[in-house]
Amino acid sequence: MISEKEISNKEVVQEVYRLINENSHLNAFVTLNEESSIKKAQDLDNNPSDCSLAGIPIAQKDLFCTKGLRTTCGSKILDNFVPPYSATVIENLENADCISIGKTNMDEFAMGSSNETSYFGNVHNPWGDKLVPGGSSGGSASAVAAGIVPAASGTDTGGSIRQPASLCGITGIKPTYGRVSRWGMIAFASSLDQAGPMARTVEDCAMLLNEMCSHDNKDTTSLDEDIPNFEENLNQSLNGRKIGVVKDLDLSSLDNSVLKVYENSLKEYVSLGAELVDISLPNLSLSVPTYYVVAPAECSSNLSRFDGVKFGRRSENPKDLEELYIQTRTEGFGDEVKRRILIGSYVLSAGYYDAYYKKAQQVRRLIKKDFDEAFSNVDVIMTPTTRGPAFEMGSKGSDPIQMYLEDLFTISANLAGLPAMSLPNGSIDNKPIGLQIIGNFLKESTILNFGHMYQTKTNWHMYTPEGLKQ
Amino acid sequence: MDKKTVTTISYLSRLKLDGEKEEKITNDLKNIIQFVNQLEEVNTSDIEPLTNPLEKTAKTRDDKVTANNLKEELLEIAPSSNEDYFLVPRVVE
Repeated sequence: MISEKEISNKEVVQEVYRLINENSHLNAFVTLNEESSIKKAQDLDNNPSDCSLAGIPIAQKDLFCTKGLRTTCGSKILDNFVPPYSATVIENLENADCISIGKTNMDEFAMGSSNETSYFGNVHNPWGDKLVPGGSSGGSASAVAAGIVPAASGTDTGGSIRQPASLCGITGIKPTYGRVSRWGMIAFASSLDQAGPMARTVEDCAMLLNEMCSHDNKDTTSLDEDIPNFEENLNQSLNGRKIGVVKDLDLSSLDNSVLKVYENSLKEYVSLGAELVDISLPNLSLSVPTYYVVAPAECSSNLSRFDGVKFGRRSENPKDLEELYIQTRTEGFGDEVKRRILIGSYVLSAGYYDAYYKKAQQVRRLIKKDFDEAFSNVDVIMTPTTRGPAFEMGSKGSDPIQMYLEDLFTISANLAGLPAMSLPNGSIDNKPIGLQIIGNFLKESTILNFGHMYQTKTNWHMYTPEGLKQ
Repeated sequence: MDKKTVTTISYLSRLKLDGEKEEKITNDLKNIIQFVNQLEEVNTSDIEPLTNPLEKTAKTRDDKVTANNLKEELLEIAPSSNEDYFLVPRVVE
């Protein structure tokens, strides 16, 4: 429509801001980028661009540094932080001429699975006002699901793209660790964090991923590997391709309707020509406890930089330097972030390091070895993304472990560094739910191909809270 | 995980926990540590720790200046600074 000049870039952007205002109860955005966005849209109207994302409005998770635009990471400690530079991912997307509409709400420092830990308040799921959108990329998922923007960026440390995608009925992919530069992403757990796209369809995700991935000298863990065109193999036939079905997955905690949705998807894949192969991931059940040693350890170290000296919020009138650090951090961090910093300090402290941190790293290798063996025999592995559809705010009570188990199926891909995706595959009581497809190292194209073929046969990805989107 | 341990790790973390909150957090930490204790039962003898999924050593690069000097921009966003430095309360009397 834009290239046919039926509607201008500026009109599209204005419509997005109208939708944001109309849906302000979702609380999906923390900061808007209205003036610059309208200006960029006007520039694109005057000088049309043939870049792949020209004029496409994209919501950016508030964890990416954006030059000149407030970046809070969902925390009080950064509520006044305006970065002097942009993350590589943001630069890559903006170089493709997308329009960064604003910054989306998220769990504080990406620590949460329901968006209830944000300093800027809960995000609401467009599928039901009392429902959580999932987390930590809850604002991004909610904005896409509500039809405010066609796509958003997210980050995933233990499931933070896939779990909200599942709960909001959209598609999201976490690439292989190292595919996307982490430079300018506010670090939570550096050996697990990875950015990725969230959109309605696999096809849109592939298009965004093409722009997000790059080799970046500024990130020493950025992979210097060929980046394929992720849109190229979307339509490849699935005839004879092998899907690993984890036989030792504990599905007993799932209710029947979740299992039924999962099994129906597997049947759909069989009708597309794929074969189901039983595989074993014997250490999978250890992924949550492993994660809750590794991630807090890395977080306690990464978050030591927030001390009120160089940027962000500083407490008022500290009597000395020590009090400045302690007061700033005590006032600036929320409870979940504090819990994780404390756990991290504990497992890294003298006398406990071997028992917890080293042990968890050893189990992490066992988990990775399980995947290596499984992938010698299959193309992809499928599981449900989540244990159930979106739950109500406050329903997980005050026991943090109940919330941690929300990421039961997603965490292992982060520990092993593998690409994984969630796509809508059903509905339970009018609430969407997702299917997880895990791929081998660097095999994003394979999981995108499996995902896209499913979306050519089903229309779960076209359902919106208002009904079927044509 | 007792009160004394929590006091130590909160000091190491430069965090202060008060009254009710301290009790709740101590309890949470106890439960979390108990939860991760199931790792103890796994046999990991002769297993090398996996610190990073890529297991590649960091690459070296030529020592060339590639970034712009953002000194002024960075000092400007600091809570307190003068022309050259970040400012903090007096450390040496």
